[in-house]
Amino acid sequence: MTDNILEGVRVLEIGGGVPAAYATRWMAGFGAEVVRIEGPGDALTADEATCLLPGKLRINADDSQLRELAMRADILVEDTKPGTLAAHGLDIASLRAANPALVAVSITPFGQDGPAAAYEATNAVAFAMGGIMSLTGHPSRAPLINAGSQAYYLSGLNGFSAAVTAYYGALQQGEGDHIDISMQECQAGMLELYGPMAEYTGEGPHKRSGNHVRAVWGIYPCADGYAGVCCLERQVKAFFNLVGDPVLQEERFQDRAQRAEHDDELQAILYPWFLSHTKGELLELGAQHRVPIGAVLTPSDLLQNESLHERHFFDSAETAAGTAEFPGRPFLGLPWRPGPLDEAGASTGDVLSRWVEVSA
Amino acid sequence: MKKLPLEGVRIADLTMMWAGPYATRLLAEMGAEVIKIESPNAWDNIRTLVPQPEATEPWNSSFYFNDYNRDKKSLTLDLAQERGRDVFLDLVKHCDIVIENYRADVLQKLNIDYPVLREAKDNIILVSMAGFGKTGKERTQVGFGPIIEQMAGLASLAGYGDDGEPYKTGISYGDPVGGVAAAGAVSLALINRRRTGEGCHIDLAQRETMAAMIGEAFVAASLRGEAPTHYGNRHPRFAPQGAYRCAGDDQWIVVSVRNDHEWRQLASVIGANEELASLGFDERQARHDELDATIEAWTIEQDAQPAMERLQDAGVPAGRVLDTVAIHDDPHLTARGYWVRLPHPKMTPWRQPASSWRMVEANPHLRRHAPLFGEHNEEILCGLLGLRSDDLRQLESQGIIADAPINPTVG
Repeated sequence: MTDNILEGVRVLEIGGGVPAAYATRWMAGFGAEVVRIEGPGDALTADEATCLLPGKLRINADDSQLRELAMRADILVEDTKPGTLAAHGLDIASLRAANPALVAVSITPFGQDGPAAAYEATNAVAFAMGGIMSLTGHPSRAPLINAGSQAYYLSGLNGFSAAVTAYYGALQQGEGDHIDISMQECQAGMLELYGPMAEYTGEGPHKRSGNHVRAVWGIYPCADGYAGVCCLERQVKAFFNLVGDPVLQEERFQDRAQRAEHDDELQAILYPWFLSHTKGELLELGAQHRVPIGAVLTPSDLLQNESLHERHFFDSAETAAGTAEFPGRPFLGLPWRPGPLDEAGASTGDVLSRWVEVSA
Repeated sequence: MKKLPLEGVRIADLTMMWAGPYATRLLAEMGAEVIKIESPNAWDNIRTLVPQPEATEPWNSSFYFNDYNRDKKSLTLDLAQERGRDVFLDLVKHCDIVIENYRADVLQKLNIDYPVLREAKDNIILVSMAGFGKTGKERTQVGFGPIIEQMAGLASLAGYGDDGEPYKTGISYGDPVGGVAAAGAVSLALINRRRTGEGCHIDLAQRETMAAMIGEAFVAASLRGEAPTHYGNRHPRFAPQGAYRCAGDDQWIVVSVRNDHEWRQLASVIGANEELASLGFDERQARHDELDATIEAWTIEQDAQPAMERLQDAGVPAGRVLDTVAIHDDPHLTARGYWVRLPHPKMTPWRQPASSWRMVEANPHLRRHAPLFGEHNEEILCGLLGLRSDDLRQLESQGIIADAPINPTVG
């Protein structure tokens, strides 16, 4: 017996890409039986597969088997193009009618309907259409794609949280739902103040500002890499005291409105200050003086990070290339089950016999 | 009418700024009753972060605050005063969830940490979402979204590639990502309580949920010691891929070619010669600069919207880089009914985003503007907790509750 909270919950992952695979990754970790129908061979890179597939059962299934499995699933997560499932006899509305408790999550670049629903998209295209890209990058250069595949991951994260929320609703009320997650919409609703500002003030689109929203809100080169500071107004005083240059006590830097007009001058003071410290020193100073300071850490840095190890953050899995480490449980407080990496198709017989036979 | 999944769930919301309020906005959209609790002298700074000089009550008139706090109720309560704390613990008895995004040590200082909450209600669920978690060496670091992005590895991976400089995302990306994860944590904890009858304390570190968004980079670092590569807007498996300037001021389109067929289609739309059109992937990667110039020679003459539509008609993955104005006018989002104007007593209605969790059947819709400061004091304190109007007046005179901030200029 185990107290994994999704023990016995049957999840079907269809489509094979990062969005569906990430949405179900945490379900597997919290104990659900996640069955992954293999998508196209290139749907995931080997590294993506290593961090997204642990603990899942990987199978091959034809259309009629897939329908049988979907009839017995509690949660279905798919990231195929709109219309694809229906073409394979897996129309979500009819699945929902036949299995009313089913929670079905469809994750696509632009959602299930509307003029762009059939558009071809990659992470880059979906990221462009979400609004965040217009704000990212240097003002004198092209808008920039941020780390990795964030349009994909963000939609997968929303897919996970929406799915477990709907699943709770299904437990309470006996009825699931079909959740239509659009990568574009996941981003368009989180444009910080910039989205509502443009709409409310009518002052035109917000311009991207590179690594410096303001001098006290940005990233600077430091002695051994890059570090950043993010001060709200109430933290500016402590930051200036920490930097220590007496000129910062003058009216033009102390006064919020005047400071904005002397932002270049302020940056010119902060560049050498950051350059004279290492990331480690800056993090320590920030913590000591209650100034929000961060350092640009790499994944290799983080694999060595003391706090993360103390909190047992990383999972590991055996691969042909050795032992891989990657982010594990997303939070503490509920039991987490790191799982092994299954070979493609390895669980086909097992799953088909158990799922289809048990319910037959 | 079908119910939303969280109907009947009540949440005591101590969160401020963006990460926590984004989580509780999602939960409110899903039907939960969210009671946003602020102290008259320590309130959500977002209320006045973008000062609006013309507003008589700036703390009630912020578009920024409104976008992330709609569908919630507002209760003011000074938790630092004993009577305020007592009222809060009384409220906890009527709640399913307490959620907070204070720095790691604050809940304990207020003497309302998990053991105390459990005394008030034994199956209470507490969700804490400090930047670096409740434990570990770095737990006291202040963690705003951009700091989280740097400390989680993301910023190290983005950049143009020719200057070595890492780039932050143009929003405080760590915040909403932590928020979406926290909303999922709430639902998991509810599932857990339904199964076991027990509450739990979720310790969510925003840095960790953020790091999970680049899992493959950790695999690459652990297996092969790979250092971050700045691809700019290019891609190791798709070529060409980039952002190309269109006609007009700062207008761009992203094109992302996955295979030879898509390249041929693109080459045909932009009128590239046969020699270029027949290039395979390796050659396209090797001659990427040249292809970029050829593509941009075409896009620079085009308006972004029709250029995207024309490329998509030819089956080429292309998307306009929607800026903060264009996204509100995007025909696709408009057709999907994504932007909604809500009435507001102090503000002219503007287009706000609908829920990104589209439940096709339960159909969540925006119900109400963000609450005015202390707007629901009486409803909650009298209606739910049974206080009398005398009690309210007393709480007011002690500065425990208020209908306006005590120190409205602090931001």
